[in-house]
Amino acid sequence: MKKKQIFAVMLAATMVGGMLAGCGSGGDTSKSTSEGSSAASSGEDSSGGGKVTLAVWNEPPQDDALNMYKKCEEATGIKVDVTVIPESDYSSKLNQMVSTKDSSIDIYVIWENDIANFAQVGGILSMDDYLKDSSIKTDEFIDAVGKLSEGLGGTYGLPWCAATEILYYNQDMFDAAGIEYPDNNWSYDDYKAAAEKLTQKGDDGSTTVYGSTLPNTQTWWAGIGAAGDQVYDPSTGEMVIGDGAESFVTDMATMVENGNIPAPSSDTADLFAAGKAAMSWQGSWSIGTYGGDLDFNWEIATLPTDEIKYNTLHTGFYSINANSKNQDDAFKVIEYLMGEEGQEINSKASGNPSAIKSIAEKGAWKVESATTIENWDAMTDSLQAGVFGYTCLPSGVTNNAISEFNNAVLGQKTPKEAVDAASQYAKETIGY
Amino acid sequence: MANNKGSKPAKDKRIKNNLTAYAFCAPWFIGFICFTLFPIGFMFVVSLTDRKLNGLSKFVGLLNYKNMFSSPTFWNSLKVTIMFTIIMMVVTTIWAVILAMLLNHKQRFNGIFQFCYFLPSVIPTVALAYAFRTIFGKEAGLLNAVISIFTGKNTSINWLYDTRTVYFAVFFITLFIYNTGQMMLTFRSGLNDVPRELYEACDLDGASALRKFFSVTLPMISPIVLFNAVMGCVSALNGSFALLYPLTGESGDPNGMTQVLSLLIYKEAFSNMKVGYASALSVILFIVACVFGIGIFAVSKKTVYYEN
Repeated sequence: MKKKQIFAVMLAATMVGGMLAGCGSGGDTSKSTSEGSSAASSGEDSSGGGKVTLAVWNEPPQDDALNMYKKCEEATGIKVDVTVIPESDYSSKLNQMVSTKDSSIDIYVIWENDIANFAQVGGILSMDDYLKDSSIKTDEFIDAVGKLSEGLGGTYGLPWCAATEILYYNQDMFDAAGIEYPDNNWSYDDYKAAAEKLTQKGDDGSTTVYGSTLPNTQTWWAGIGAAGDQVYDPSTGEMVIGDGAESFVTDMATMVENGNIPAPSSDTADLFAAGKAAMSWQGSWSIGTYGGDLDFNWEIATLPTDEIKYNTLHTGFYSINANSKNQDDAFKVIEYLMGEEGQEINSKASGNPSAIKSIAEKGAWKVESATTIENWDAMTDSLQAGVFGYTCLPSGVTNNAISEFNNAVLGQKTPKEAVDAASQYAKETIGY
Repeated sequence: MANNKGSKPAKDKRIKNNLTAYAFCAPWFIGFICFTLFPIGFMFVVSLTDRKLNGLSKFVGLLNYKNMFSSPTFWNSLKVTIMFTIIMMVVTTIWAVILAMLLNHKQRFNGIFQFCYFLPSVIPTVALAYAFRTIFGKEAGLLNAVISIFTGKNTSINWLYDTRTVYFAVFFITLFIYNTGQMMLTFRSGLNDVPRELYEACDLDGASALRKFFSVTLPMISPIVLFNAVMGCVSALNGSFALLYPLTGESGDPNGMTQVLSLLIYKEAFSNMKVGYASALSVILFIVACVFGIGIFAVSKKTVYYEN
């Protein structure tokens, strides 16, 4: 019995001790991290500089010449550890980090819909004091970026680029169909007419090549905005869709019914890249992805103009974690990344222009491997017409709306029912 | 004769024995309190707040519940959850019984068949779901391609987005998840334990195979059916997320037809950042799980046969 008691007490003690040690180890880790960081900042690191960690959703390029973080290390002497968090979980992971006052990440690249929340809860630092003596050209940001930061009470984030949405088209298919190429003044009616002419059908009536792809989760909003809806109201933070959405959804449903665009499905293949669709509305970052890899000649143009010329701007904001132990080094890294060299490398790697006008004008974003592109004005025109729209809304709300639009396109609801349901859900969610 | 029941040494021994028992139980209890009881209690507390994912929180009483009960999205999700749980439990249990009975026949290469039947079950559900998402694609799906070859006509069924086919596709995939394979193995061991003499008696009476199954096999394996039904129910309630999220997305396409509560909880907590509201939904899911558990045990009192 005595042995049993001793064994039981030891087991319980081990369990409790293990748990306490587990709790304690977190503290040890953060201590060692902070010690390492302070040692690094005081110049004790072998590289001669400090060390900062940066969270982002996409992998840095393998090519060192296009890796802005590597170049930043060389220029500043500060080691940059990049933590890649998958895009699908990115925003929620960052929110959890802010909520728990996590200090393991020094620089967050945050999305449009998070910047105000993070500033509100004190999760990120106002960079105004740093910017006083900085070389970053904050007065040269494109207008939409400046507007997005209004009302925050300070500069909490600096835009790492300005991506836009454009029309990609297969020149070979346009040539074969004898249709003039789209230009930056193309109307929405031109687009619909071309999609119909470019559609190829088999003997059984089924579509073999679509005139266009279905808008993706991003470009649905470009169509709705162009049809006249505000999409996002910055003054209330609400989703504003109505007649424009109904009209665009109706058009998409008709085009699906006519076989001009594919129906929503679980397919993950890129029909445009596969040569199965003549046109596609996508983000400007696809230029870098396609590069010289497509088997046909392709070009870009601005998205067609309906009631207005509209597309959504996309960016991420460099921001400093308010709980970071390396805030000075973090700003030095951001200063490099926002500088001419950092922005140029980012543009070359991603194909996205800088949000700083004077840097963007130099054209580093013109992807060299995309040799068939001549209409680079499509990018600058799109940037001018671009607004921060749906990206400022919670992703649950926008994803839900896309599902509703798909329901209408598939004939499971009327466009009006779908738009009303999406608006109703947005009302339930925003302002919670 | 003196009664030493209440004497001090005996009392000390009893206390020591009790302490020993408690000490042995302590590790499990500590784990249970920290990782089960506390989170459940915390979930109830958070459900009474408007907590967001970034940590902002304010007590709102029963507002989340009021909003939830007035939301058509919630009622649709609750309906889908109950329907999905019942059908998935029935489909996977029946399929597991069928496979177990097939394997119970004495034949060559039984081990290979068992391996093949069980193999899909060891694939992680998420990977399995992504594979089936590709198979069930409309434009480039493998299944449509195979049907096209056999029929000689271009087939483009939108399996996962058509309201008429989505349930068929989803429940078909549940036949290959881990839980079904596990059920098959337990059924197989149960079938081996059914006394042979009962079948011999049936043979003498001239009973058909169907009669033998319903009058002998099923009653004899009914405790295993109960166990598997409970496990299938838990798996459907908790594990459906891993299956449905990659297949039909957080909105449970098409038209919310596959939006079970676990998907809605994820969407509200991590896409809309409404942790308080998601906690209120979790409380409902907890209650649904309890109701299913109690319901299954209540039914089992009348239907399960225990030999001893």
